Amino acid sequence: MRNKSILSEAKQIQLASELIRLGARLQVLEANSHLSRERLVKLYKEITGVSPPKGMLPFSEDWFTSWQPNMHSSLFINIYNYLAAHADVRGIDAVIKGYKLYLEHIEASQLERVLSLTRAWTLVRFIDSRILCLAPCSKCAGDFVVHALELHSNHVCGLCNIPSRAGKTKKYAQVIASNMQQLNAA
Amino acid sequence: MDANQMLGEIREINLGYMLLAQQMLREDRTAAMYRLGIGKDVADIMENLTSSQLLKMAASNMLLCRFRFDDRLMAEMLTSHSRDRTVSQFHAAILMAGQPAEAIV
Repeated sequence: MRNKSILSEAKQIQLASELIRLGARLQVLEANSHLSRERLVKLYKEITGVSPPKGMLPFSEDWFTSWQPNMHSSLFINIYNYLAAHADVRGIDAVIKGYKLYLEHIEASQLERVLSLTRAWTLVRFIDSRILCLAPCSKCAGDFVVHALELHSNHVCGLCNIPSRAGKTKKYAQVIASNMQQLNAA
Repeated sequence: MDANQMLGEIREINLGYMLLAQQMLREDRTAAMYRLGIGKDVADIMENLTSSQLLKMAASNMLLCRFRFDDRLMAEMLTSHSRDRTVSQFHAAILMAGQPAEAIV
């Protein structure tokens, strides 16, 4: 659909540029605005200074169920649901607002940004199409992202029952090692 | 602390809370509703209060803001010493985001 109204085009450009600033991939932009691909590519280059990455979007729904991504995506989807239920925002606006609030939490607790905007958008689509869903943890009663076709009557979340190797990545080991060195030196 | 002093402090907190809430709602309504944990009706009322109404509300002998943590969240945060602090903060944030909003019944 080609836009005739300048005002609505301006709105679309604003939406697209906000998405680009938050790190959205080109496919997300194409799905959420009526602007032509050419213009989106131009806009992308103008804002980020580089051409948009090519290739497919990350498409695995299993990613959302592994430990650390599950934590992050569950937080995002809880925020998203709160906004959708109480604040009268829908669709991509709710994704943007929810993602910003998620980023705020990440920055406040000095964590790494695990969930990208593209993944957050994909998560919402997965839940809409019932590939993933939310299940309450039987211990803490919080809602967590799970596969829709699994049994979750006795679901225990990854935060109530932390796996022994959870979060102990190579990077984490390096950070610990460098901290220890600093301590020893001091 | 004598009673008068306490009432004064309560009034001050009420006023500070109401002013902050109103400002947050006016700047970014959706984000404010999430941060304050309030529903649409409460947000509407708070946003439309005039200064004199706000002052009247603040001059009460009771606190206007409510404690948002239930026992589960409290336990979660108190046990955070044994675990990574950021992880339990994360857990608390997920539980808090899943809580129902304050609404007018």
